[in-house]
Amino acid sequence: MSKPVYGLGGRYAKWLISAPPLLYLLLFFAIPALIMVFAAFRFPGDYGGLVPLVDVNPDTGARELLLTAENWRDFLTFENFGRFFEDSIYLELFLKSFWYAGLTTLICLVLAYPLSWLIARSGKKTRDLLVLLVILPFWSNFLIRVYAWMIILGPQSYFSRVLNGFLGIFGIEPVSLLFSQFAVIIGLVYVHLPFMVLPLYANLEKHDMSLLDAAQDLGANAWQRFWKVTWPLSLPGVWAGVALVFIPALGMFAIPDLLGGTNSMMIGNLIKQQFLDSRDWPFGSVLSIMLTLSVLLLAAVAAWAGSRHKKKD
Amino acid sequence: MKKWLVMLALLAGQAHAEDVLNLFNWNNAVAPATIKKFEAQCKCKVKETYFGSMEEALAKLSAGAKGFDVIGPSNYGIPPLARQGLLLPLDKSKLPNLKNINPAFANTALDVNNQYSVPYDFTVTLVGYNATKLKELGLQADTWSIVFDPAILAKIRGKVTVLDDPREVIAAALRYNGYSANSTNPDELKKAVATIRAAKPYWAAFNSQSYIKELTVGNIWVALGYSNDMFQARQDAQAAKRPFEIAYGLQKEGNGMTADSFVISKHAAKPELALRFINFMLEGQNAAEITNSIGAGNPNTAALPFIRKELLSVPAINPDKAQAAKLEQLSDQDGKTRRAWNKAWTELKLVR
Repeated sequence: MSKPVYGLGGRYAKWLISAPPLLYLLLFFAIPALIMVFAAFRFPGDYGGLVPLVDVNPDTGARELLLTAENWRDFLTFENFGRFFEDSIYLELFLKSFWYAGLTTLICLVLAYPLSWLIARSGKKTRDLLVLLVILPFWSNFLIRVYAWMIILGPQSYFSRVLNGFLGIFGIEPVSLLFSQFAVIIGLVYVHLPFMVLPLYANLEKHDMSLLDAAQDLGANAWQRFWKVTWPLSLPGVWAGVALVFIPALGMFAIPDLLGGTNSMMIGNLIKQQFLDSRDWPFGSVLSIMLTLSVLLLAAVAAWAGSRHKKKD
Repeated sequence: MKKWLVMLALLAGQAHAEDVLNLFNWNNAVAPATIKKFEAQCKCKVKETYFGSMEEALAKLSAGAKGFDVIGPSNYGIPPLARQGLLLPLDKSKLPNLKNINPAFANTALDVNNQYSVPYDFTVTLVGYNATKLKELGLQADTWSIVFDPAILAKIRGKVTVLDDPREVIAAALRYNGYSANSTNPDELKKAVATIRAAKPYWAAFNSQSYIKELTVGNIWVALGYSNDMFQARQDAQAAKRPFEIAYGLQKEGNGMTADSFVISKHAAKPELALRFINFMLEGQNAAEITNSIGAGNPNTAALPFIRKELLSVPAINPDKAQAAKLEQLSDQDGKTRRAWNKAWTELKLVR
């Protein structure tokens, strides 16, 4: 590829074009994230929010900064982070959420791969129709679709009755599908499946089919053709899909709330509880930061493993 | 074209002349017909904004949301609002209908001398149940045992939900153990937590979102929830001609009770109109509409003649003296207690 030539105007145009999104991210992502980090070191206000740093001086009526070099201990603390580590329950909850999100990602990958392959290999017209069908659920509200699952999994539904009738033949006790970890995983997979299908499809669609022909001519069987040619080529799509499914699934709180039983809490629910029921914004911020850090750590480990793998080749 | 312009100008002029009252309240609390009636009387518009939980509303108001005249918080939400300086003291000379308030609901610890608030309804946290099923099983719902006693729960395993709310569920477990729902004693909290831990394996879910529906369709037989929700579940089941009846009643150990009140925002653009609205809502007939439409209890004595007969016989709506004595208004917890309860709740949800 030859390098595009920019004129003077071109150079400015580059900045002009990227300025609005950059500004948007700075205003609505970077600054709030920093506020959250700062909040994690402050004390919770008795009625929600934080202990204020600025107050109106009753004598002068002017707003004054209360924080000084001497009294910073009254306003800033590491205690919130201490609470995260003082008890294993929060760590356990993290592990459980990672397990839910990991399982969801794996199931999505196993379901989405063949589907994406099928779509990518269909004729132009069918392909467009199939992609449309994958996107179609987005046309209705997410919560409504989860409520629909509550009906499908409920004990009165045909699905539950047929399943339990079938189990009854073998003398197995009827199972309750709704309000269970099973229901939570079903919900998570259902909601996130399109996010795995779309990047995989975008990748698989670009594969050069003559590579597979060449592999076959050289004596590779169907499995070898997939494992040695298609799979490695599709890895960028796989990683994109994994990131798009794993990260949102990890922070989900609506699905465990609606479909979960007495034992299906995830980190998202705990964070929500801190900001609402507990009125403890600093601890909610700590939990959010820990969640972000653990995802970053995971990504770093994956990147490191990937680079080692490449070196070996 | 000209005609249109004239009409537009007229409309715009009219909209300008009309005052707007901004009301921030629980969804469905005030009947639409009542709002219409007030709009006709004051020649103004009422713009309603809803909240679905008190904590959500508090988070919004604490974060500095403005533009509301009248707010309708639950009573335990009043101290946080008042102490953050978000409320305007009521000018009682503008509220002649204040005399209609039942003294039992006036002057509570949450707002001494009703400096800021006027109660308009109350809900009781109680047990709603599938009466037909429980009768078949020979179980009674007039005690908290139906939610907390493992021996009884064994017969209705997986058919019970409780609110996803540490405040309400721990309060009920405290009452079951014979303590105050507002206890701040750590030992009593420990006992209540042990009670919940023993009962949890028999419960289907912590559910604040859909228990009305689950009761109505028969998926769930026993739910710890709010009296006005149970009222709706009962009506829905009747309307759908279900082959069973949904009922609800008080528990003999006593129940948690939450009154809701009207307050005026410090930032109110129309404080006079706000007072007029509150006084209007205190008129017997208008106050009664709240009970008639959502099945909440009523702290307004002038409302009683206008409440539907069949509702007056429901203890959760119109408790007698002895029953009322066992209703305990939930207090606003201090930060430390709140955090202790929430941590206990997180632990409860994580153990199998």
